[in-house]
Amino acid sequence: MAQLAMNRPEVIQSLIDGVDRYNPDNISILEEYLATQCQNEEYDLMANLAALKLYQFNPHLTNDRVIINILAKALTAVPAPDFNLCLYLLTEPMIIDESIKQLTALHQLLEQSRYAKFWETYKSDPAYEQLVSEVRGFSHAIRTIVARVVSMTHQQIASPLLESYLDLSGEDFAAFVKEQNWELKGAIVQIPVNKDNEAKTVVIRENIKFEQLTKVIGYSNEM
Amino acid sequence: MYHDNYEEDDLAAEVELVTSAQYPPDADVDDGFDSEGVVSSQKQPIAVEIPDTIKNFITYFHRNVLENNIYELHTLYEVTFNKLTDRFYAKQPWPEAELISPLVDDDQVFLTLYRELYYRHIYARLSPSIQDRFHSYENYCDLFNYILNSDFPVNLELPNQWLWDIIDEFIYQFQSFCNCRNRIKNRSEEEIALLRDNPQIWSCYSVLNVLYSLIQKSRINEQLLVNKNGGDMLEAAGEYGSKPLYKMLGYFSIIGLLRVHCLLGDYTLALKMMDNIELNKKALFSRVIPCHVTTYYYVGFSYLMMRRYADAIRAFSTVLTFIQRTKQYHTRSYQFDQIAKKCDQMYALLAMCIALCPTRLDENIHNHLREKYGDQLAKMQKGEDSISVYEDLFQYACPKFISPNGPNFDDLASISQVNEPYQHHAKIFLSDIHSQAMIPTLRSFLKLYTTMSIDKLAAFLEMDADELRTQLLMFKQRSRQQKWINGNLLEGDIVSTSDLDFCIKQDMIHIAESKVGRRYGDWFLRNITRFQDVIATLENKN
Repeated sequence: MAQLAMNRPEVIQSLIDGVDRYNPDNISILEEYLATQCQNEEYDLMANLAALKLYQFNPHLTNDRVIINILAKALTAVPAPDFNLCLYLLTEPMIIDESIKQLTALHQLLEQSRYAKFWETYKSDPAYEQLVSEVRGFSHAIRTIVARVVSMTHQQIASPLLESYLDLSGEDFAAFVKEQNWELKGAIVQIPVNKDNEAKTVVIRENIKFEQLTKVIGYSNEM
Repeated sequence: MYHDNYEEDDLAAEVELVTSAQYPPDADVDDGFDSEGVVSSQKQPIAVEIPDTIKNFITYFHRNVLENNIYELHTLYEVTFNKLTDRFYAKQPWPEAELISPLVDDDQVFLTLYRELYYRHIYARLSPSIQDRFHSYENYCDLFNYILNSDFPVNLELPNQWLWDIIDEFIYQFQSFCNCRNRIKNRSEEEIALLRDNPQIWSCYSVLNVLYSLIQKSRINEQLLVNKNGGDMLEAAGEYGSKPLYKMLGYFSIIGLLRVHCLLGDYTLALKMMDNIELNKKALFSRVIPCHVTTYYYVGFSYLMMRRYADAIRAFSTVLTFIQRTKQYHTRSYQFDQIAKKCDQMYALLAMCIALCPTRLDENIHNHLREKYGDQLAKMQKGEDSISVYEDLFQYACPKFISPNGPNFDDLASISQVNEPYQHHAKIFLSDIHSQAMIPTLRSFLKLYTTMSIDKLAAFLEMDADELRTQLLMFKQRSRQQKWINGNLLEGDIVSTSDLDFCIKQDMIHIAESKVGRRYGDWFLRNITRFQDVIATLENKN
């Protein structure tokens, strides 16, 4: 669901695959790669987990800013479990740190689909924006997530409701709707039918494969 | 000294029969054999002279190790050793390696192997002291050094079960050490100094180093890759990898790494280790039952923590079905208890998965599950009380997590309350569960209708319309999971894992359920074959 690392450079790939990932000297390579991800709106879970693992084994190398960036990036991957996978690699004292707690709170709101509350919380305290400041396109990424879930669930949704989910209004809202290929008809947004928002009764029919019939066909040959 | 009973005579006779045929007991060795019985564990009584049965066993054992007699070694290792332990050493350690060394001509390799068994016994039946742990670690270093750092592949062959047990025990002792290292409350000054001054003993890096080295030396990953693509494994094996000892140790190290990464909380890396291993009946791990069980347990657990419940269910069901079907073969194995405990834990994890992602299960498994965890299943799907049930099951069934670094010995005051590592993982896992507490109730309501307005449903569920919308969005989000279809374990497509689907049009919910159609193919095929057999029999009679 998150944009896969199609552009993962060779050096990172071999780092992740081999035992070099345990070499503490390589942390700078991974940290730089994270900075690239933040700049270019890309995302590479495996590389980020490798960085966190190095921190796990070498606590003296821990860089708080890097951890925050990794978690902020993982927020943009919801509903993939990436955020939690990152948390598992941190330690208990770390996750009760104030900044991590704030990010966790945002994560919970996204997971529970409480989008209106998410934007409310996000804008309530400038600290939040500070946390995600190094991640370019954070807001847009979150809106993409919301759009995806909404288009899975609805065929029609009231505009004011959608506006609160996306924290957009007026022209920005109209532009976003157009970008998603939805139709804005007055106070309702129409979402085209896709495979997820179509509630069709499906009967899972049995698929009899040809191989299963070879024996039977063999019998008919003998007759 | 020994109470005379039939079983004991029988065992002594068995060993006697087996050893006297090949190797007459050496009279010189018995005399003046002064075993002062230096025992490292402080609470044990001083051992007396080593019984003849044991001496014979050891010499015979040594002989078979020298001759690489795998078949005989398997019996000696699995059966005889354990029987002798039960009889003579149920509450005390085996004789120290130095004491039996004259019996085996000071063969260092054999003594290293013997010490591995010696310490394993201490860990299993007695409680190891810090010195024991250190010595055992050094012994493992000797053993792996011998295997890995020789100029030529060593000429040693051991049964697969033993090789697996070496890796398994190695990781178990590592895990045990990490847990004991954190308990410093009642330790003496010298113990703390010992721990502080030796951070390299049982360090994470050295354990990982051993496992990775075994994998690299045996080129097991290359071998498996070639095998997967239909080639001949021996070609990719290289000098060391073509010997069964190295190959199997390399293979078991992969499973070992799967386990270690899980213990450290890195689930994606754990599954990535299994890249070249396909989970089917023909895999090498299925040759050793405890290895088979361990593999599926950790694969399933990793999937569970990655929220891939459908895949976790598949993993657990596969292995639980296998164990059930082959039950009569391993009730006699001495590892039956451990396997049974792991199975219980897997049932608990399976219960959690089913509560989170209701799926149809195989009849037998489902019955067993309901027997063991029926109550818990019901509670987990109710919503209110569910968190505590999840918590209990998680605590029971999760692996013994470890933290890679020890406490900061220079700053003892700061280590006031070191929480058990599993609590860290449990907390994160449960926060997830918490989010979706209402979903089972929502599901049960949605199942009853095909269309329903938001307000009406909100009234039924006693929540307001906005809250209901939120729940519906979350329900939809949760019902889409990554599910493995083929390829490596980490791969998979996003599919719907719920049999209930819905869409919202403005204020109306339209609900659809997917049903499984009647399966008639199998029935017809079976009966066609049966009729054919009947006809064939009739024709033969004429």
